[in-house]
Formats: sequence, structure tokens, C-alpha cells
Amino acid sequence: MPLDAFLLVLRLLLIVLLYLFLMQVVIAITRDLRKTAQNSTEGGGQVASILGHLVVVDSGPSSITPGTRFDLETQTTIGRGPTNTIQLPDSFISAEHTRLSYRNGQWSVQDAGSVNGTFVNNQPAYNALPAKAGDIVRVGYIQFKLTQ
Amino acid sequence: MASQSPSGIFRRYRWTELGLFIIPFLIVILEMSQLLLANKDQTSSLSTRNLPTIQGLIPAIGLIAALLIANMVMSVFFRKADQVLLPLVGLLSGIGILMATRLGPDLNPFPDPALGSRQLVWVLLGIFVCLATLFLLRNINLLARYKYTAAFLGIVLVCTTLVNTLRVKNLDSPTHDQLNLGPFALQPSELLKICLVIFFAAYLSENRDIFAEGSLKFGPFRLPPLRQLGPLTLMLGIALLFFLFVRELGLALLIYGLFLSMLYLASGKFSYVATGLLIFAALGLIGYSLFSYVRTRFAVVGFNVVNWQNWTAKDDRFATNGGLQILQGLIALSSGGILGAGLGLGNPAGRYFVPVVQSDMVFTALGEELGLAVLFAIIAIYLLIIYRGFRIAIEATDTFNQLLAAGLTSIFAIQTFIIIAGNMKFLPLTGIPLPFLSYGGSSILANYIIVGILLRISYNTAVERDGTA
Repeated sequence: MPLDAFLLVLRLLLIVLLYLFLMQVVIAITRDLRKTAQNSTEGGGQVASILGHLVVVDSGPSSITPGTRFDLETQTTIGRGPTNTIQLPDSFISAEHTRLSYRNGQWSVQDAGSVNGTFVNNQPAYNALPAKAGDIVRVGYIQFKLTQ
Repeated sequence: MASQSPSGIFRRYRWTELGLFIIPFLIVILEMSQLLLANKDQTSSLSTRNLPTIQGLIPAIGLIAALLIANMVMSVFFRKADQVLLPLVGLLSGIGILMATRLGPDLNPFPDPALGSRQLVWVLLGIFVCLATLFLLRNINLLARYKYTAAFLGIVLVCTTLVNTLRVKNLDSPTHDQLNLGPFALQPSELLKICLVIFFAAYLSENRDIFAEGSLKFGPFRLPPLRQLGPLTLMLGIALLFFLFVRELGLALLIYGLFLSMLYLASGKFSYVATGLLIFAALGLIGYSLFSYVRTRFAVVGFNVVNWQNWTAKDDRFATNGGLQILQGLIALSSGGILGAGLGLGNPAGRYFVPVVQSDMVFTALGEELGLAVLFAIIAIYLLIIYRGFRIAIEATDTFNQLLAAGLTSIFAIQTFIIIAGNMKFLPLTGIPLPFLSYGGSSILANYIIVGILLRISYNTAVERDGTA
């Protein structure tokens, strides 16, 4: 085969390979997205199981009645914004205030970058702190007790 | 790690990434063989004596080996990190290396047969730095605590550019953004971008509530209160003033665009963006009327290329002096056509062709040799990288991580847009390099650091979501 015909074949092959690669990447991405969608619907099924509660022991300057119980899920967020699992319309609580996760039988509490801070037994929770039933979790100026 | 049994390792390997690497490796080998064959073609412009076979082989094989090693290292240590980013970035790096190999021997004032090998060295360093970033950034929130250090480092980098300008005293060349350390020419602005993103992300995530509220009102426009707006505008102002003084229009545009996008991402308020764009338009008009160098840069954009048969003498002079680079670039793009001339078979570089093609105008070189079809594919690859970056940002669990990922992706996107638009005479040409494709060590390093940070954020998110490593 003459050289320039062969080079033409190589050039066309490059274009074909490039678009095949793009197709492969898009397939990998859609598979990824579908898996994430499945995970979140499965996670929705798990929401029904309640793993614990937060009971208000001291409502501070907010208007929440002491003794109010909030259900906790595997991943719970607390804050003022509407996207949180537990929404507390208090002016000392940030839009995203605290994150609680339940993993391997253990609760962990982490501050989500709030203005007034999150504390577990008066320890600031910049990094995730473990918490067990009976610990006092302070979100802003509201104190909760973590219970079963 | 859980089980070390052979079947466990087999199942837990990063197969998607390895599968995505197959076609890039094939493309690199294909292009390398085409380059070596074009070497033999008598009609090609590639000088045969300047490209020995080994120099053509080393870049391709070195890249394949490095990417395979990176894949193995990530499978052992960071199994859950994003699997689509590295193949995309690897393919772009491969095309960049091969283009540098092709352009090196033909460069006009100083032909450089080892350009491809040097590009390979930078890419290998880049992959190493990417993995190092993955290992070092165990706690990304530590970056948030050092935000003022990052800002200070950024200011220091900007100062080196300023010093270089005052030394050179030739304010008409398109870029002063260079720091020459012995044989290495670095571009400090690349690292400055990362420092700025870290500072903005940390500052905006800490003061997010206040920004979302926007209590300062100017009629229909709302602004954040001055106490929060202060440090941000100070940092922005320092960067902008330096770059306007140093005549780096592209960097000023990049930083301002970054600032606006991060402000919008953090606060969600479109009125901030509207105010910012109005201020930008006002500043642009003032700059255009006050500074002549702004006018000359924009003169290129308004230049009528199509009507070349009716050029006046002044147009002719412009075409051979100020507008030479852009016009030769446009000629290169159009002569490429849809299929291109073939790697090694076109004329992108050389005495009568595009000046400084290996770093500023590499997009036109790709257009000439590989054609429009490949250019579309390359733009699609950039879009996929940007998509992946934003997806990593959405999935991140923490506001700082989200803003950091989104900011890094935004700056990557804005930079790519500015340089491609500059190559096509849509915007004035700037000194910003095309990520991964243009020859330039600090650009490759900085972009691999960005990829490393994004991979680490995705790894942290996946670990937190699944509960185990």
C-alpha cells in the first residue's frame, strides 16, 4: 500500500478512536449516574428505620419546647435551610449547621462550618467526634441529648 | 484493608479506569507511528534529520508506563477516587506530548528536537505531583485554615511578575508572566490561580450565611455587607491592578471571572453577578478609552480577515506585524479542514508560519494537522473534564470542599475558553496556556495539582458516603 494511502488510513483511524473513546467515557458516566440514583432510592428505603433520637434539653434563646424529640436517620443534617433533615428556624443556627452520621454502630457528629459551632459534651466538633447515647450535643445555643 | 485474597483484589481494582485507558494508549501509539512514518514521507515538512526514531518512541512509551503505574498506585491506596478524570487528562497529555514532539524540530528561531522529551518530563513530574497531592491532602479542611497564607503566597507570586516587568521594561510583549530559574522558565500565575481559589473558597464558605443574606442594598441590587466584602475585594483589587499594570489582560479576565463564579456558587444570588458584570463593563470601557495597549489588543479582534483582497497598506502592515500570529493561526486552522493534514504532514511551525506555536497557538497547530473532527473531540474532552469536576463538587459533603472543587473546575473552564477563543480571534490573544496540550512546565504541574485535589475530594466523599475505605 502506498505510503500516503496508509497515512490517510491512520488519520481516519485516529478520528474513529477518539470518538469511540468519547462514547466509552459517556457510557461510564451514565452508568455512574444510574448507580448513584439507585443508591439514593435504596437509601430512601432505609430512612424508615430510626436509629436514635435527639431530645431538646435546653432550648437556649430559641422557641423550641424542651422535650421535643427529633428522629435521626443514617445521615442527618441540622440547620436552618430547607434542605436539612432537621430544620430549626432559629437565628443562631446557620443554614447548614451540623452533620450526624451513623456508621458501624457508632454515631459521629461534625460541624458543617457554622457560625456558632457544634459541641459534643462541650468539645468543639471541627473534625467528626464520636457520640453515644446520653451525650449532650450542642447545636448553636440549643442543647440536645442523644438517645436510642 | 479488608480482604487481601486474590479474588478480593481482582474485584476491587479500578477496572473502569483501566478500561478507559485502553483507547488513549492506542491513540498515543497510533500517533507515534504516524509521526515516525511521516518522517519517511518526502513531501512532509518534518525535517528527517531532526527526529531520530528513539526520540519519537520515548515520549509515547514513557507516558503509557507512567499512567499504568499511576493506575496501580491509585488502586492500592485510593480505590474509591473518581475513575474517569485520569484517562481524560492522560489522553490530553499524550496528545500534547506528541504535538510537542512534532513541533520541536520545526520551530523557527530555535529548533528543539527534544521538546517532546521535555514535555514528557513535565508530564511525568505532573503525574507524580498529582499522586503526591493525593497522599498529602489527608485533611482538605486544613487548607481552609491556612487561607491567609495562601493569599499571601499568591501576592508574593504576583510580585515576582511585577519585578520581572520592571526589569524587562518592554511592556508591549504579550506576557511578562515569567520567572526564569536557571534553565527553567516558570509561569507563577499558574500557581497563583490555585492560591486564589483556596482563599476564595475558604473565605466564602466561612461567611456563607452573610453572603447569602446580602444586606447592603443599592436600589434593586444587593451586596454583602462591607465587612465581609472587604477582604474579598481587596484581594481581587490587588490581583487586578497588578495585571492591568503588567498588561496581562488574560489573567485579569481569568481572575475576575473566577471571582464572579465563586461568588455566585457560594451565595446563589444572581444580583451579585449582575452587579459584577456591570462593574466589569464599566471598567472595560474606562480601560479601553484610557490605555492604548488595550486598544491594540482589541484591534486584532475587529480586524477583517475575510476581505483580504481589499486590504489597505495599513492593514497589510498590521497583518505582518501585530496581527501575524493570529492571522497565521487562522490560516492554519482553515487549511486543516475537517480531516486535517495528518500529524507531521502540515506546516504549523517554521519561518513563514505560526510564531510561538508550541505554547500559545497549539490549538491552531492541532487544527491544521488533525482537523476539525479532532478539534471537536478535544473540546468534548475538556467539557467532560469540567463536567466531572462539577460532579465531584456537587457530591462533596462539606461546603469548603464543594467550593474548592467548583472553583478549581471554574478556573479550568474559564482558562480553556479564553485561550481557545484567543486562538480563533474571538477574544484578544493572551499568554494563558491551553491546559495539558500546550508546552509549558508550570501549566502542566498546576493543572495536575488541580486534578489531584479533585481526585482527593472525590475520594474523601466516597469514603464518607460508604463508611469504609
